[in-house]
Amino acid sequence: MKNGVFVSFIVFGLLVGILIIPGLGQETAGIFEQPLLITSAGQNAEVQIAAVLAKRAGLNYTLSKQATAADLENMKTLVLVLGASLKGLGAAGLDMGKERERVIALIAAAQKAQVPLLCLHLGGEVRRGQQTDDLIAEVLPLAKMVIVVKSGNGDRFFTKLCQPKNIPLVEVEKTADVQIPLQKAFK
Amino acid sequence: MVVAAHPLAVEAGLEMLRRGGNAVDGAIATAAALNAAEPFASGIGGGGFMIIHLAREKRTTVINFREKAPHLASPRMFKDKGEEEKEWRTSSGLAVAVPGALAGWDLALRKYGTRTLAEGLAGAIAIAEQGFTVSPTFSSINKDEYERLVKNLPEGSSYLNEGLPYEPGDRFRNPDLARTLRLIAAGGVKEFYQGEIGRKLVVAVQAKGGIMTAEDLASYKAIELEPLQGTYKDITILTAPPPASGGLHLIQFLNVIERWPVRTWGRNSVPYVHHLSEALRFIFADRERYLGDPGFVLVPVHWLISRDYAAGVVSRVRDDRPLESYPYAEYKQKEKDAANTTHLCVLDGDGNIVALTQSINDFFGTGIVPEGTGFLLNDHMDDFAVNEQSVNAPGPGHRPVSSMGPLILFKSGKPFLALGSPGGTRIFSSLTQIVLNVTEFGMSLDQAIEAPRFFSFSAGGKPGPIAVEARFPEEVITALRAMGQEVEVREAFDKYFGGAQGIMVLRDKKIIHGGADSRRDGVGAGL
Repeated sequence: MKNGVFVSFIVFGLLVGILIIPGLGQETAGIFEQPLLITSAGQNAEVQIAAVLAKRAGLNYTLSKQATAADLENMKTLVLVLGASLKGLGAAGLDMGKERERVIALIAAAQKAQVPLLCLHLGGEVRRGQQTDDLIAEVLPLAKMVIVVKSGNGDRFFTKLCQPKNIPLVEVEKTADVQIPLQKAFK
Repeated sequence: MVVAAHPLAVEAGLEMLRRGGNAVDGAIATAAALNAAEPFASGIGGGGFMIIHLAREKRTTVINFREKAPHLASPRMFKDKGEEEKEWRTSSGLAVAVPGALAGWDLALRKYGTRTLAEGLAGAIAIAEQGFTVSPTFSSINKDEYERLVKNLPEGSSYLNEGLPYEPGDRFRNPDLARTLRLIAAGGVKEFYQGEIGRKLVVAVQAKGGIMTAEDLASYKAIELEPLQGTYKDITILTAPPPASGGLHLIQFLNVIERWPVRTWGRNSVPYVHHLSEALRFIFADRERYLGDPGFVLVPVHWLISRDYAAGVVSRVRDDRPLESYPYAEYKQKEKDAANTTHLCVLDGDGNIVALTQSINDFFGTGIVPEGTGFLLNDHMDDFAVNEQSVNAPGPGHRPVSSMGPLILFKSGKPFLALGSPGGTRIFSSLTQIVLNVTEFGMSLDQAIEAPRFFSFSAGGKPGPIAVEARFPEEVITALRAMGQEVEVREAFDKYFGGAQGIMVLRDKKIIHGGADSRRDGVGAGL
């Protein structure tokens, strides 16, 4: 990232409640390409919110709640919306084991196709819990960037996972605030 | 005293009592206020049941204001939609049954209240106009139902915050609902059932593929019924009869449990959870085989709540392992089985009591809001059976079977516990556990409500898993699994198991306890 862009992003971010927790040399703007495939990891309801935010950000996206490797064709970025929902899993006819298999296989296919991974956690504190945390711990180290709603990182769970891997982590106050860093993350 | 799922609704009920209203007045003020303060769970677009105890008359009665199917409903109306059946059952105009809430509130006030409907709606109007701070519960439910809301809500609806779900701490206001309630306050329920509001309702339903007509709405009537009666040891239980199933199944369940040494086993011990789960699996089969609208089908209520029936279940349950099969029934746990619905209880200074459960079914109902009205329409047509041969198949004017079960329990002829809960098919299981926590394990009402819960069922003759809250001891879960029980661990305080509210009267100690569930935003308060 060019220094001028980085500084102006920080100033703007402070105004709207965005906190970037980057490591050395990390970038949070213009690092992903479009089109992007949005899917959930845990069949949470926030995946639909992510799609609305992507639309408002003017991004060229496809939403597939149960995306598989085949959906990655022609995609330049994979966006995973993290968080297990028992209700969502039930509605999809899945259990967490099957959902984990799908997500891991999708990430493996993305890596093979050199499609980078952007992770979002939009559900805040209520969208944490054992099942969510287990899946996050597994997939987050594979991300190129992470955006979280602050209340979901109250225990610095995401920070602790991102820092050792130098993965840029952007914290926002509210779900609606995700739109700005999401928009800026794409070329 | 008033207990309900939102503090503003409790305050509206208390204000009515302060102004000299009786328990019925207070209950309707609270019920209406819940429409404004907890709009995702109930409201004038839905229906329910209430049980009323009149202290001076020593009489208890039930008002059934459950929604009805439109006259064009038919057993295959959803089946014929093929793969899209689920969507049609929950998120379309076809999912909307004729609402009964206003008719029920109005009937209760006219027969047993001392205040007008306009007075009953005043608190709700104030809440809708002034708004309130969104709680984490409201926010998480708003997020969970976002997809349906985006699909069905009109542009700029109050139920989303600039098109996105509300966050905790945001301000929620609903001026359209305030305006609608003012119209009803001025013109009576005919404004809803026969007036401009009703016209907008029918237009909204039909625009989303529904079959409800103005005649369906105009002909809706709430009905008064004799309560269903059962016993547990020295306790008499009065509750709403079918098509409400919660109270009936609670009586069945307690009849079975009465034959087991539950106090010796201990609360939430391995034998306790195992035996009660086995009984639940039998009762679920009954629900699907026998329960329908008694206005159209014969429900064998007296046999189901008989001691002989209970003895039959007890004789089949094994102490050491689950059965391999249970009576066959087509119960299918809903894929999106949330703890929707809401419950309230009101006790006044004269000893009159109301326990009222009301709902729009799924949280935020269908997500359909008639233009400019601010109220959500129910998806209670989804409570009809999937199987067109079922006794609970959709039919013209039928009321779908409900899991609701508002209760009043009596000792020596005097009421000592009013209770109810949301929670879909978990309602009767959760209420039974609360009753046992109080009567067998000596817990206070609040402790009894907060204690960890479990649930099980059978489907197609096979056992469902035992769902337990994560607060269950690991050794109990391990031992149940070792017996061959499948155990599903859910959240520590999971809305799946309901959000019970109750009032307990300890006459010997001259104490009244209110119990409200922290699984929702429940609260209780007295004058």
